[in-house]
Amino acid sequence: MKVFLTAIILAFTGGALFVNLGSIPDSFLLSHTASRFYREAVVTETGALNTVSAILYDFRAFDSLGESTVIFATVSGIVLLLSRKTLPVSSAGLSLIVKRTFGILTPFVFLLSVYIILHGHLSPGGGFQGGVLLAVITIIFCIIYGSSFDLSRYPPQRKTLIETTGALLFLGVGIIGIALTGSFLGNPSAWRGVPGTLPSAGSIVPINLGVGLKVGAGLAIIFYSMIQKTLKRQ
Amino acid sequence: MTLLEAFLLPLLLVIAILVVAFRDLLSSVITLSVFSTVLAIIYIIHQAPDVALAEVVIGSGLMTAVYIAVISKIRTYRQTHKRGEKE
Repeated sequence: MKVFLTAIILAFTGGALFVNLGSIPDSFLLSHTASRFYREAVVTETGALNTVSAILYDFRAFDSLGESTVIFATVSGIVLLLSRKTLPVSSAGLSLIVKRTFGILTPFVFLLSVYIILHGHLSPGGGFQGGVLLAVITIIFCIIYGSSFDLSRYPPQRKTLIETTGALLFLGVGIIGIALTGSFLGNPSAWRGVPGTLPSAGSIVPINLGVGLKVGAGLAIIFYSMIQKTLKRQ
Repeated sequence: MTLLEAFLLPLLLVIAILVVAFRDLLSSVITLSVFSTVLAIIYIIHQAPDVALAEVVIGSGLMTAVYIAVISKIRTYRQTHKRGEKE
């Protein structure tokens, strides 16, 4: 009976959502108000070709600052709960074949993440996606080589330093925006360059770099403090 | 709706039901990673490569690793708990 009622409620909710979303006319979505402004003004106002990146890190950069604050709070909470002063005695990692394969593969993962971060204003991607790829390198180290390898190469203190550097870079670009344009996180027109080239789009590139470092180091800290005592028993 | 989309959307539904239906947590997590991959292909068909990139990297990469770490942590906790009861 309970399952039946739940099914009925779910079916009604799904139907209502479907009808509501279907009844929005297409012309309303693309041709009026803010979306038309974004489509027309994104190249002239910011110099970025990737509209999503321009909205995230220029028009709505303050929201992105809030999101990175959320990540900072999450990392602080998880580290507070999970990390203790224990020596991580991890497994010896996987077999030699896997280790050698990922020894060849991991630099290219790093290269791809740096490419995604630095080309955030030109091609799909940006600071967040590239930063998560940076965190994947820590996952590879922890699982394939054992978490003591990750501790010896990139200790948590260095990860914390990288994360703080990213956050300060973001805030610093915002304060430079106050000095040059008069508004917090404003995009100074002197930095804008030719749209379509790599050193263009003004403050979007340093903000992408800051968000990438912050997200990558933060997620790496989260995963490391979770795996730290998991692998100890093996 | 293209032919590929007409194939992928019901597949997504089947995978979503499988994720909930599995009793084994590890199978459920791995199926969730497959769900994210199929969803990313649908995002690319709908011309949203930014979201697709985030979905692939986070959904099928990072979250799977985090979930598997948590599952192995739960298993070691249960083993030590049982051992404590026997002794």
